[in-house]
Amino acid sequence: MEMLEPVRVLGLGNVLMGDDALGPWVVEALLAGWEFPEGVSVVDVGTPGLDLTPFLADADTVLLVDTVKAAAPPGTLLVYGRRELAGRSPLPRVSPHDPGLTEALFTLELAGAAPRDIVLVGVVPERVEKAVRLSPPVRAAVDAAAGEVVRRLSQMGLPPRPRALATPPTPWWERAADFRIELSVRA
Amino acid sequence: MTRIVVDPVTRIEGHLRIDCEVDGGKVQKAWSSGQMYRGIETILLGRDPRDAWIFTQRFCGVCTTVHAIASVRTVENALGLEIPLNAQYIRNLIVMAHAMHDHIVHFYQLSALDWVDVVSALKADPAKASALANSLSPWPGNSKEQLKAVQDKVKNYVEAGQLGIFTNGYWGHPAMKLPPEVNLLAVAHYLQALDYQRRVNQVVTILGSKTPNIQNLAVGGVANAINLDNEATLNMNRLFRVKDILDEMSAFIQQVYFVDVCAIAGMYPEWLGYGAGVTNYLAVPDLPLDTKGTKFDLPGGTIFNGDLATVKEIKSFQDPYFKENVTESIAHAWYDGDWSKHPYEEETVPKYTKFDDSKKYSWVKAPRFQGKVMQVGPLAQVLVGFALGHEPTKRWAVKTLETAGSVAKKQLSPAVLHSTLGRHAARMIRTCVISELALKHWNLLAENIGKGDTAIFNQPVFPKGEQRGFGFHEAPRGTLSHWVVIQDGKIKNYQAVVPSTWNAGPRDEKNQPGPYEASLVGNPVANPELPLEVLRTVHSFDPCLACAIHTLDPEGREIATVRAL
Repeated sequence: MEMLEPVRVLGLGNVLMGDDALGPWVVEALLAGWEFPEGVSVVDVGTPGLDLTPFLADADTVLLVDTVKAAAPPGTLLVYGRRELAGRSPLPRVSPHDPGLTEALFTLELAGAAPRDIVLVGVVPERVEKAVRLSPPVRAAVDAAAGEVVRRLSQMGLPPRPRALATPPTPWWERAADFRIELSVRA
Repeated sequence: MTRIVVDPVTRIEGHLRIDCEVDGGKVQKAWSSGQMYRGIETILLGRDPRDAWIFTQRFCGVCTTVHAIASVRTVENALGLEIPLNAQYIRNLIVMAHAMHDHIVHFYQLSALDWVDVVSALKADPAKASALANSLSPWPGNSKEQLKAVQDKVKNYVEAGQLGIFTNGYWGHPAMKLPPEVNLLAVAHYLQALDYQRRVNQVVTILGSKTPNIQNLAVGGVANAINLDNEATLNMNRLFRVKDILDEMSAFIQQVYFVDVCAIAGMYPEWLGYGAGVTNYLAVPDLPLDTKGTKFDLPGGTIFNGDLATVKEIKSFQDPYFKENVTESIAHAWYDGDWSKHPYEEETVPKYTKFDDSKKYSWVKAPRFQGKVMQVGPLAQVLVGFALGHEPTKRWAVKTLETAGSVAKKQLSPAVLHSTLGRHAARMIRTCVISELALKHWNLLAENIGKGDTAIFNQPVFPKGEQRGFGFHEAPRGTLSHWVVIQDGKIKNYQAVVPSTWNAGPRDEKNQPGPYEASLVGNPVANPELPLEVLRTVHSFDPCLACAIHTLDPEGREIATVRAL
């Protein structure tokens, strides 16, 4: 992670806030199921606000994965292009992290380091509130969102390869509360 | 009497609402309200204490590092666990790089536009601006050509009607007073700061392997294997990359950030008179120099009633003076009950009622120290350092007062620091001190490794029964403390008392206003429809309610609505 590749898949969201974990969840699913070629970085970036800037800076293409606020049923997959994301105030209400994303994009434009292209792969959430699991419709949309990322990378000539020994993703935040406890207590 | 409601106050982070009663052009009373439910600590109950830091750093999307550091210190405190010197130095370097990043972002990206009029920069003469800058600083980024290029860029945006990020600015407001040349310099440095804040984050990435959300911590130390000749570990190459970045940061901070803050303070001297509010101050010591946390490079302590002679030092990670004197009150917060409790004894049971400024009006609790309201943050850090005779703090504070005084053409005493611009000055003073100490700690780490010490981790062991622990970190926004109760190796209670809770909290059971609320009283408001002066004072605290609450705004309101009732 010290040096980011020119093409970046960034999962945005707070893993402690229910469906807001969608972005990080898709990153876990991608890393568990696929091997990525040189030139592609896949990162769970949390909810960094303006600190998203370094992840976008000087990139060729950024594929953001995030929950989106839209008039559609929970679990719906929606894809937005650069124009919709870089709109000027008043901003289109695309994502809960919009203030960070739009400001980061604008400041990078001003500084001459904006990504050449940016795409948002979004899923409509059901519940964004304190919880460490996805709602069923959003959980069901993880594979579709991951598939959309794989499809777009393939179109760009950077196809990920399915892992020979793929394991189901097990995000750390969903592991049982007593995980590891048996090892740590001295009687 | 006019009532102003600003909601939300911050440009991008969190969700804070400020209500002010204005009469005779001045704020008479103010209320600070956190508008989102917190209580995220309950996710930790029943978990392995060694995993707590991984979760706590997701409390807030922006201040991830500080919650990770506070959490491992908390569990180590509960176990009485010392950590190896290398681990302290590596953590300290991460803490300092994060602080430099955070302060630069706050000044340039999040609050400079309260003072700087971007449109006015178009009227500047780049040659004059360059001459002015060169008279104040050796910085190479102030040439006439560079400033002209910045001016052309901004001009293009203004002409295309695409001011975008700047559209929430208050241009042409009567409270904007900088000459066009200074505005142009500030805009140029705004752009350069973007580059430097990215650069210093590289240090956190090299040592922490990722930011936001560092990966290299462990209860008991760090996970950075040290082998100077191994490609995959912390080696010579990585260490020297860190050193190069720290050198570059020192130059930017001391030659650009220092000068800009002194110039703004000197050109808005009246703002060294408003915004003091609460003058009880709290800062905890940080940058431990030993394995136990009893010697530090940054001092901590308390000051009461703005009197530096009252300073009392907080001396160690175990100091009972801190442990025994912190409480939180929910008398005016939306939780069930009206108690005031020590963090070990608290519970978090939300109970929302409508906004009623005489009863409950915030999701933020009201922390108190010995029952007193305390201001935390860089101003507390600098005043405590000054009062305890901390050499670099004193030196940079004196230099700041002299430089800003020469711009203002009057003598400035340390008393002017109790103010809105005093908080900006203190943040810059602290950043200058840290830019020096970062290089010192780099040397300490390199020398210690050079002696052959590669230890990075001591194994934690959890005894049966109950242990209690607290851990603190003097974060960029001020004193952050975590409190844990462990029962048979599992977390039984966990509380985080964060800097913005100290500063943004509501009144308590004695109706004592919090620091934001007190600081606004007496502020001028020229135009209640555009209460720039209110924003100046609140922004000077560097509010991050993302941390006190959390980062989401499900309503997606990006633009502050100001209502003058």
